[in-house]
Amino acid sequence: MNVAALMAQDAPAVSPAIPSERVQLVTIRYRAVATARMRIVWVALGLAFFALLALVRIGTLGLSDHKTQAASLHQALLPTRGDITDRNGAPLARVFPAYALWYNPEALGDGGEPLVKSPEEVAAGLKRIFPDLDEAKTRAQLASGKSGYLRRRVLPEEANRVQELGELALEMPQETDRHYPQGSMAAHILGYVAADGHGRVGMEQVLDERLLDPSKRGEPVALSIDMRVQGALEDELQRGMKLVDATGGAGIVLDVDTGEVLALASLPEFDPNKIDAAGEANMFNRVTNQVYELGSTFKPLTVAAAIDSGSITSLSRRYSATPYRVQGHTVKDSHPMGASLNAPQMLIHSSNVVTGHIVDEMGAATLRNYMVQLGMNERPYIELPARGFPIWPSGDWQRIRAVTVGYGHGIAVTPLHLASAYAAMVNGGIWRPATLHMVKPGEAPRGRRVFKESTSSRMRQLLRLISKYGTGRSADATGYRVGGKTGSAEKPGAGGYQRSNLVSTFAAAFPMDRPRYVVVAMLDEPRGTVASSYQRTAAWNAAPIVGRLVPRVGPMLGVRPDEHRDVDISDLRAIVPEASE
Amino acid sequence: MSETGVFIPHHARRLNERATQRSSFLSEAKIWWREIDRVLLILILVLMTIGTIAVAAASPASARRLSTASEQLPDLYFFYKHIAWQIVGVAVMIGASMLTLENARRAGLVLCVVMLFFLTLVPFIGSDVNGARRWIDIGMRFQPSEFLKPGFAIALAWIFSWRMRDPNLPVLATATALLGFVVFFIALQPNFGSAMLLGGIWFVMVLLSGLSVARLGSVVGGGIALITATYFLYDNARHRIDSFLGGGTAFDQVDLAQRTLLAGGWTGTGFWLGLKKMNLPEAHTDYIFSVIGEEFGLLVCAVVVCLYLAIGLRILVRMIDEDNYFTMLAATGLTTLLIGQAFINMLVNLRLFPSKGMTLPLVSYGGSSTIAVCLAVGLLLAITRRNPFLKRRTAGLAQMLGMGEERREPKVEHRAGTYRQGGEA
Repeated sequence: MNVAALMAQDAPAVSPAIPSERVQLVTIRYRAVATARMRIVWVALGLAFFALLALVRIGTLGLSDHKTQAASLHQALLPTRGDITDRNGAPLARVFPAYALWYNPEALGDGGEPLVKSPEEVAAGLKRIFPDLDEAKTRAQLASGKSGYLRRRVLPEEANRVQELGELALEMPQETDRHYPQGSMAAHILGYVAADGHGRVGMEQVLDERLLDPSKRGEPVALSIDMRVQGALEDELQRGMKLVDATGGAGIVLDVDTGEVLALASLPEFDPNKIDAAGEANMFNRVTNQVYELGSTFKPLTVAAAIDSGSITSLSRRYSATPYRVQGHTVKDSHPMGASLNAPQMLIHSSNVVTGHIVDEMGAATLRNYMVQLGMNERPYIELPARGFPIWPSGDWQRIRAVTVGYGHGIAVTPLHLASAYAAMVNGGIWRPATLHMVKPGEAPRGRRVFKESTSSRMRQLLRLISKYGTGRSADATGYRVGGKTGSAEKPGAGGYQRSNLVSTFAAAFPMDRPRYVVVAMLDEPRGTVASSYQRTAAWNAAPIVGRLVPRVGPMLGVRPDEHRDVDISDLRAIVPEASE
Repeated sequence: MSETGVFIPHHARRLNERATQRSSFLSEAKIWWREIDRVLLILILVLMTIGTIAVAAASPASARRLSTASEQLPDLYFFYKHIAWQIVGVAVMIGASMLTLENARRAGLVLCVVMLFFLTLVPFIGSDVNGARRWIDIGMRFQPSEFLKPGFAIALAWIFSWRMRDPNLPVLATATALLGFVVFFIALQPNFGSAMLLGGIWFVMVLLSGLSVARLGSVVGGGIALITATYFLYDNARHRIDSFLGGGTAFDQVDLAQRTLLAGGWTGTGFWLGLKKMNLPEAHTDYIFSVIGEEFGLLVCAVVVCLYLAIGLRILVRMIDEDNYFTMLAATGLTTLLIGQAFINMLVNLRLFPSKGMTLPLVSYGGSSTIAVCLAVGLLLAITRRNPFLKRRTAGLAQMLGMGEERREPKVEHRAGTYRQGGEA
């Protein structure tokens, strides 16, 4: 029935006081309410639809029985944090379920004495199980009635023996523990896991998210390092350090073609299994974080820049070797080297004066440009969180600045910078970032070309020349064709350079006829000892480390000793009298 | 009262109010008890009780997850805080439900205006939590968007009911402009869940206001276009929708939630015996439905769904024989707000909807948003108050379905009946 019509028709008759607009409003309201009422049913139906959807879904999920199992084997075996391995799959860091020993004074639950026996007896019993236990401290803790850890890491066998003590207050909650089976080896690369369950310092920090991600942590992460090479590097570095009583050491083995770090060591080391104050003091990474003036090891880079830029056209060109003044500073050598030297001789004898002349001819801007190309003006490229910023002379370089940089002073970089630059120098001229991740064959980064192929070939000859006839002779492991340069820089201290405190470095690559690996060994503040014939320079301490290391790691890395192969240096013999014998 | 023939709006109401002022608190409480929808109140309290138990179940998981090395949260940290919030929430709810219809409307409008003001301040003085700027910190920390929602529903209902005074007012344009304004500021935060919910309230109002089916279709089309645009414009929305459509990755939040939901089977592992919940982020808020599933079983989950359905249907069925236009719109809007959010949350837990970051109202731990939800429920209770001694004169559900006798009444009485609660209890 048409209510509106009815109302319009009836309204004046019943209540004349109501104006017709009012009646119209009443009509509109009646219609609106009627419509809304209908539409509320729609809303209710929509609501019922969604509820039905949810109920059906609950039903189907509940009936799909394979999904309701409490825990799958896969999940039960999933580690709480992913393993880290070396490039060959040898474990470097893994989790294992361990027990802890927790003292719970309320375990007996009767509000009385927390222990059945006396604290002295219990402490003595624990001492028998854990011989290194601090008995007095444990006794005090048991007597105090405060809950807390008595010990982390209890072996299952020890746990059984603790049970036999018969004390309910000694609880052994299962905890997962991060364990580094190689001990302190590669500690600076790995870092450690702190109490909050997150990694610190090394790759544990870098890979933290990946290692904790439940969908990925089942798969171990393989790093680029080779545990065997790492072990040999640390061993030789440690030995070299002890022989000359140095305060610290740094070493790196780098693949020249891919930028993979095969080994990286900073001494003294720390033990990631046991973090204490002494360990924390050693967490500082000398390879990637500390910058040093690396001295004469820069000279080959200077020569390479000069050859590459066309500044050196003839290697037989001779330069004056007598001290000379540049902008008020005298450039001189540690000992006189005669009237004149050519570039190969300069490298063999490591002459600052001749380097200065070569830089002068090349020009400051050219040398600076090559140093930028080699990445010397930014933090080193590697995944580790601690990377030192170089002391890099800003702006355009003065002549004196360029001359000093030419022989490795007035610029301070990390040993890793140097290793990457040497890799570019010998691998055909391509600079690539260093990495701790494994690089699959054929997937090496393209890198950037710094030197020409021809420059790189020449540098291989020159580096080989140095270790054959120059300061690097003690690194010349028979058959491994090592080529490298020494560097002994005085450490800057209060009031200028300190003559007695040196940083001695040997930067090398092998085998020189087809370079595969760069090795850098560095000693901080070596002393003159019997072992180094009372010398402090790199030829007597750093170079021998490389000389001992290369024969150890070469065979592991696929480089076989061969005395019938070598880089051809016959064209240089004519101009280098030292090489003619 | 209307025998004089001169119509005085709210005349009866004013008399009533004066009488109430004189009466003691006790008699006011008596009136409240008689007028309130007691079934609804009981359903709400049952749901809140389930929520308290569920938060107790989920609290250890979240407390352990949010503990740091320096600060160890006790296992029942969230449970105790939830109890405290719930006590305040219930007080707010009862207080709000004691308002008369007019005062509830006024309170809703004031709430809407104040929260709109704070909402516009959020981009300037808001604080960031998890990459979204939603919070305001003035003595206490709260999300203006949470408190805006009930106010917004009431404001829209009020705007649409203007037509009862003058059919020529542009109510649809005004309501749409208000929605656009609010959604703009909420999308800035960004907070797409709330934007969707507010859009849903607006849509239900438009639906109730009698927009033709053809135009409703174009509104739905526009909504789909907007969601598509959001998908392309906002990375966050895209990731969530992609992971929903693509099935997600193993061990993402939604996957963990489903593992938790199903871990208990039909009857659950038992209270505090769940293990999967420990791996679940936001166990006490967004994914509490899954925790209920693990510890109390899928059957209890179904019960929770049915409880929300019962609350929604209870209000809507009562609204069918309502004759106050504003009441109809406001109650339906608030129901959409409450039940809509609940169903979005449950469907996310059941992997039928992309994850939204929405809590389960009345059940989840919510902090200050618990107050907002309780305020909405309180306003709903106030709006649906009705004198039990007045016989309904309008068509009910049974009559609409063709059952029951047709109620027709003389038109004069009909007009008087439009101002219900005219009589005294």
